[in-house]
Amino acid sequence: MDGQEAIVFQGLSRRFGTRTAVSDLQFSVAHGSVFGFLGPNGAGKTTTVRMMVGMLRPSQGSIRVLGRDPMSEGEWVRSRLGVMLDNVGLYDRLSAAQNLYFAARIARLGAAERQDRVEAALNRVDLWSRRHDRVSGFSKGMRQKLGLARALIAEPQLLILDEPTAGLDPANIVMVRELLISLAQESGRSIFLCTHLLAEAQRMCDRVAILQEGRLLTIGDPNQLGSHGVPTVRLTLSGGDGMAVGTLALPQGAQLHALGGNEWRATVAADADIEPIVAALVAAKIGVRAVIPEQISLEEEYLRLVGGKDNA
Amino acid sequence: MRDVMTVMWKETQEFFGNRRFLWVFALAVLAMGVLPVLTLAHHSGPLASVTSSLGALFRGLYVLFAAVIVVGNTAPDLVLHERVGHTLDYLLTTRLPDYAIFGAKVLISFAIGYLAAMLALGIQLLATGLIGGAGWHWLILALPLGRVVIFGISAGLSLYVAVVGTFVALRVGEQRAAYLVSILSVGVLLIPFLVGWIHLSLTLPWVSHAAMIFGAVAVFLGLVGLRIFRRDMLVLYLQE
Ligand SMILES: Nc1ncnc2c1ncn2[C@@H]1O[C@H](COP(=O)(O)OP(=O)(O)OP(=O)(O)O)[C@@H](O)[C@H]1O
Ligand SMILES: [Mg+2]
Repeated sequence: MDGQEAIVFQGLSRRFGTRTAVSDLQFSVAHGSVFGFLGPNGAGKTTTVRMMVGMLRPSQGSIRVLGRDPMSEGEWVRSRLGVMLDNVGLYDRLSAAQNLYFAARIARLGAAERQDRVEAALNRVDLWSRRHDRVSGFSKGMRQKLGLARALIAEPQLLILDEPTAGLDPANIVMVRELLISLAQESGRSIFLCTHLLAEAQRMCDRVAILQEGRLLTIGDPNQLGSHGVPTVRLTLSGGDGMAVGTLALPQGAQLHALGGNEWRATVAADADIEPIVAALVAAKIGVRAVIPEQISLEEEYLRLVGGKDNA
Repeated sequence: MRDVMTVMWKETQEFFGNRRFLWVFALAVLAMGVLPVLTLAHHSGPLASVTSSLGALFRGLYVLFAAVIVVGNTAPDLVLHERVGHTLDYLLTTRLPDYAIFGAKVLISFAIGYLAAMLALGIQLLATGLIGGAGWHWLILALPLGRVVIFGISAGLSLYVAVVGTFVALRVGEQRAAYLVSILSVGVLLIPFLVGWIHLSLTLPWVSHAAMIFGAVAVFLGLVGLRIFRRDMLVLYLQE
């Protein structure tokens, strides 16, 4: 295996006719991390996933999944993956349990182990009581959860999930988030997650990449993408106007931006610079009602990067 | 082989939930079991249906029909159903090799067709026995020629239709188109067979050869199909 990397993209591109769906992707995903793959509809996320599992041949460049090429060593790679595609693809004529037994047989588990794993997986997604029901009667969210349970059956080293939370209610979104976080903590398992839920991605991903029109726009820690690593605080002031605040003596590298009303945003070079700013405000007889450490949300940064172009 | 068995296990589980399949199967078997006996009895009286060897072979043809109808329906359906429900996509993400996915479908369709043929035969024998009394109704199995038609040609033909139906459905997205192409391709192979049947008259070697040719063509097409349909191309077919 390639040391610390679960997935390595090397100049990966894929064209369909004249349309370029994925263009020159060049990055890697560390072992044991939760990686968020974000981007507007049609950005190329699903196409990338398909190439990762060896369902689609790259037009250019290559991928290494768990150190191997999914095209030439497909069976080796796929036997170590748990995959959930955007269309979950469950067998409607079979029961929930039968769907999972099939996955367990594919993974070549023994009879006793199949039993245990199926039970555990169904319990994990709260579908144990529905195990004998035919999937054709399942709601969209139940299907998503069953698809997730199926991806977990073989205890894969790498989970590749294409929008696993699509169609889930808020309580189930939280359930899936917690499930994924606990899965990631188990023995170095990596998770590659395509999602449109930016707040969820920010909460659970170690790193995220934002893709648009097949190109990588940015990649990094979701909590620092927007602020580019600079700490910021949000200040709520009383008394004092823009003029007064604007003339304050601030520590080196610190800046204050008016957000409208009594709200201000301070960016500082280091966390320790916040205290002198508050002291300066108080000295200038400007009341400080609240000082709240702020993270530029992933959503703000996403919208800034992707722009109104796609109405993302 | 274990992977092929895994997919076959899944297919058999699915049959029980598939009403349409169960109806086609039951109707084909019943019709092909009862119809020839009734028509023969109607035309030439009850005894003719059990004594003439031509009558026996005529019934043999119906056994083949039962196989063709059932396989011609089942083979494309096994693939199309997986495409519509996106489960073929799922199968492609698993460690299952291509030959297990498609091989299992071909084998299951073949087995179902052969089973239909044997059941139709059983019903024919039963119906002949009821109409014509006991004794001569085993005639078709008493003739070596009859045995080759019943056991040999029905096997070769079932396998051929299973292969064609499976691989055609992988390429043709629409159900009716897939059935049509499967039935047409059966027709293409049946023409020389029927021409030979009429001109060469029914000799044992000829019928035996025909059975083997069906089988050989089926195996050949199956191998070609496996080479053509690699999983990295199927995604494109899936989205057409
Ligand atoms: N088989 C195909 N043939 C032609 N074009 C395709 C094919 N598959 C994908 N594309 C194109 O590639 C581009 C990327 O599609 P993709 O499905 O990867 O987007 P996505 O990021 O997964 O979008 P979404 O968020 O809507 O799921 C789109 O423009 C799409 O039309
Ligand atoms: Mg997608």
